Amino acid sequence: MDMKRDYYEDIRLLDSGPQVFWLAVLLAALAAFPLVADSYQIYTVNLIAIHVIVALGLNLLVGYTGQISLGHAGFFAIGAYATLALMLNAHLPFIVALPLAGFISAAFGFLLGLPALRLEGPYLAIATLGFGLTITQILGRLDVFGGHMGLQAPPLELFGLKVTSDAGRYAVIMPICVIMTWGLRNLTKTRVGRAFVAVRDSDIAAECIGVNLTYYKTLAFAVSAFFTGIGGGLMAFVLGFISPHTFNVMVSIMFLAMVVVGGLGSILGSVMGAVLITWLQLELARIGELPLVGPVLTELSNQVFTLSGLPNVQYVVFGLIMVLIIIFEPLGLYGFWIRTKIYWRTWPF
Amino acid sequence: MKKILWLMVLVFSLALAGASGAAEVQGVTDTTIKIGQWGPQTGPAALWGAVARGTGVYFDLINSEGGINGRKIKYFLRDDGYNPNRTKAIAKELYEQEKIWGFACGVGTSPGMAVMPYIIKNNIPWVGMATGSPHWAYPPKKSIFAVYPLYPDEAQILTAYALDTLGKKKIAFFYQNDDYGKGGLAGAVRELKKRGMTLAADVPVEVGETDLASHVLKMKKAGADCVIMWVYPKHAAIVLGTSAKLGYKPQWMACSTLSDVALMFKITKGLWNGMIFGNFAELPDSKAPLMVKYRNAQKKFAPKERWGVFFYAGFGFVEPMVEGIKRAGKDLSVDNFVKAMQSLKNFQGIMGPITYGPERRQGLKKVFLAKCVPATAEVNGKKITYGKGQRLSDWMGVE
Amino acid sequence: MLGQLITSGIAIGATYALMALAMVIIYKTSEVLNFAQGDMAMLSAFVAYMCLSTYGLGFAMSFTLALAFAFALGAFLEFAFLRRAKEPNVLGLIIITLGLEMMLYGLASWRWGSDQKDFPFPVSDFDVYQLGGDVVISQLNLVTLGVACALMILLFVFFRYTKVGVAMKATQQNQQAARLMGIRVGRIMMLTWGMSSVVGACAAFLIASTDTLDPNLMWTPQLKGFSAAVLGGMTSLVGAVLGGFILGVVENLFGGYVSVEFKAVVAFAVIVLILCVKPSGLFAKHYVRKV
Repeated sequence: MDMKRDYYEDIRLLDSGPQVFWLAVLLAALAAFPLVADSYQIYTVNLIAIHVIVALGLNLLVGYTGQISLGHAGFFAIGAYATLALMLNAHLPFIVALPLAGFISAAFGFLLGLPALRLEGPYLAIATLGFGLTITQILGRLDVFGGHMGLQAPPLELFGLKVTSDAGRYAVIMPICVIMTWGLRNLTKTRVGRAFVAVRDSDIAAECIGVNLTYYKTLAFAVSAFFTGIGGGLMAFVLGFISPHTFNVMVSIMFLAMVVVGGLGSILGSVMGAVLITWLQLELARIGELPLVGPVLTELSNQVFTLSGLPNVQYVVFGLIMVLIIIFEPLGLYGFWIRTKIYWRTWPF
Repeated sequence: MKKILWLMVLVFSLALAGASGAAEVQGVTDTTIKIGQWGPQTGPAALWGAVARGTGVYFDLINSEGGINGRKIKYFLRDDGYNPNRTKAIAKELYEQEKIWGFACGVGTSPGMAVMPYIIKNNIPWVGMATGSPHWAYPPKKSIFAVYPLYPDEAQILTAYALDTLGKKKIAFFYQNDDYGKGGLAGAVRELKKRGMTLAADVPVEVGETDLASHVLKMKKAGADCVIMWVYPKHAAIVLGTSAKLGYKPQWMACSTLSDVALMFKITKGLWNGMIFGNFAELPDSKAPLMVKYRNAQKKFAPKERWGVFFYAGFGFVEPMVEGIKRAGKDLSVDNFVKAMQSLKNFQGIMGPITYGPERRQGLKKVFLAKCVPATAEVNGKKITYGKGQRLSDWMGVE
Repeated sequence: MLGQLITSGIAIGATYALMALAMVIIYKTSEVLNFAQGDMAMLSAFVAYMCLSTYGLGFAMSFTLALAFAFALGAFLEFAFLRRAKEPNVLGLIIITLGLEMMLYGLASWRWGSDQKDFPFPVSDFDVYQLGGDVVISQLNLVTLGVACALMILLFVFFRYTKVGVAMKATQQNQQAARLMGIRVGRIMMLTWGMSSVVGACAAFLIASTDTLDPNLMWTPQLKGFSAAVLGGMTSLVGAVLGGFILGVVENLFGGYVSVEFKAVVAFAVIVLILCVKPSGLFAKHYVRKV
């Protein structure tokens, strides 16, 4: 059933009937979600949706094209600041400012793609890391962007409607997230997507069969930066306030963790990675209050560790989860998913 | 007939009053008040997290004395790791799911700024954020009450002291390159400008930096005879060490965030000696009755905590909030609480005099200066030298 | 001022060089970028601190114990986590080291809290020697320089002339072939991690004595060490040390004469420029994979 018989089957967006059905169910569930959830849950899902967009963009670069980036917080910051600056200073409406910010971010992505033509591995990692650090440094210096004071997001207005609640923001963010996921799936199915994969597998071989390396490597950076920039623009509104501090190195590293833990070169993986990491970041903070674990941890803190340092358990657990996932499944959560699927499909064999 | 009618009206209005009086205010019952706080317990800013734990001990103390107007405080402390995404999630979770009444303190400008619109929108009481940024009180917001003296004011006081009392001629400013450091810088520049002077050098430092030789050389080359610092304890320690090595000996002055004199003396290996610094609360070894009482509370409820400035600042920052709740009486609606808070005039606990008014939301506007002097004590039969603060001035403010 | 800036740059560069050496050792054998390097070192520094302050042991004893701990920690992490990875890819291994970094950070903060501590050290940073003019260098700086250079020479000799060192190089070039030649790849890896952890711990002791000891101690030095290693070429020991010195001096000169605000990021600009000319760093041979 996974056999592809001709080219058109390969480039089809959706493979099978059940897939269409489940997709419809998912979309319906996403549409119904704000009606049943409370505002805190919607806020969490908004954050997740933004991280999904970023993880998709980064996965395109890391998983599909085989380039590493430790500087995506830089693009995230560019997207966020550009959106707000265009709205506050140029008085553009949100619907124009957001894509424009995406394109500004993409332009920076193109620039960062240039050294990537010659660099790989740790060398590229350092170049991108430096990019991320430099961007926040420069943003903190420029008074147009509020300097180190940060910027307050203006009220979000769409087609004359004021968006003030989390459900309202959800109504803006979730469709964008869905459209971008769809767009990325589309992209990976085309010549461009296959060229990216060819570059990843062997850039020299790819060049030999006629893939223009300069074009595709910089394009991968640009598209990835575009996604991240859009994510940043939306983030500015979910948070309501941004400062250079919001976009530190740790953010870049978390993005990379989402992609790798979720599964390299897989859209479903990016989504799963973004969901898991975001959720862990928010929920692990309360690990000391869990019914059974909490008292044990408290007692342990009293005996061996310190009570005031107890919340740091979240880092230990977080790190452990990341390590275990990669140890047991190099393809990350996506690998688990594939294996489960195969297990049930071939059951009882 | 008339009597029955009156009776009915009476019953009806009583029922109405009962319904509106008790059930209307979120997070308050006849026996409890729910109060929440976020603070970095993990990550690079975790050293300020002591504020949030101090508040917890203060509430324990109040509860052990029977609570406020018969209501015990139920306290929720959440770690945000100084990450604004998480701070906002915490604020929502506490207000919408735990149904708290109000927020106490909260560390950090960025986290606070991410939460402020939400707090204004929902009209949640929030008192005593642990940062001296002017965003909270200017312009005034109905339910938000700041305590921490503004960084610019404090810098202005330190600068004036250096020029007038110490007779220094050239002042340099060494600051963390963000909202916090630049706030201090603005105050120093303001004071100098008033006298037609300028800074001899203003030297920013990035949060991650560990090598400060070029910073020190800049100040040395400018010939500054007094340096005011607005940095993290880590950078204060490194800059003093580097200066000692490079033979640069100006008069050092420091911001109140560095007022934990015993700690600073220890981590600078004694170089903190002679430092003049601002204070927003009594010195750690103060004999003021409230300080003694709080220290005993710490020994009782959190014996392993260090009696540092930021720990007991967690007591001080919420003192006005507790006083406000006390004055508001049984009816803890936000309007009533705000009215009670506005009646605070020169209220003093372990911090300086705190005043609020209809248009005034910045409670404390004064600091006092102290100087670090060495002292000796005997611990386990060994003589050790530690740093302690010596008061130089009374509470002073800016006109 | 120029002389002092260069001297201070070399002094701080020596600490970067030590971290760079630690990263290069692991990269040389396994091509893993170890993001846990800094926090392994930080934990070792805390162990030394605990021996010194809590148990009141002497300097020699404490540092020996802490270095032994560092070796054991490195070997353990390799054995328990990295070796367990199934069909690892490079990114997966990086994420494992990131995960380890978080675990170590969490454990250290849980055990010792976030308050700064003073790290006692037998050599003073305040006793200085005049180098002519008003240029000074402290005893501690000289020790750091000495340790960095000595370790570099030691490691260089080790990799070039000892059997184990050659085996390590062989492991990097082709694990499969190395195994067939009778090299116990697993054991070699463990040893590499242990050695690297010890070098990192040395760096942490020296850095903690001028800085203050807290769980965030090694994050910046690690990034700087990483940059220095990349600048030098990631596989070259001499390159790593020279990279550290270059980085330290460039930063200080830029901070002294141009802008202290952008001092922290100028290093990256320099590195990117250099890499554009020499894509594999200054001192490593650039080799292109075959198709």
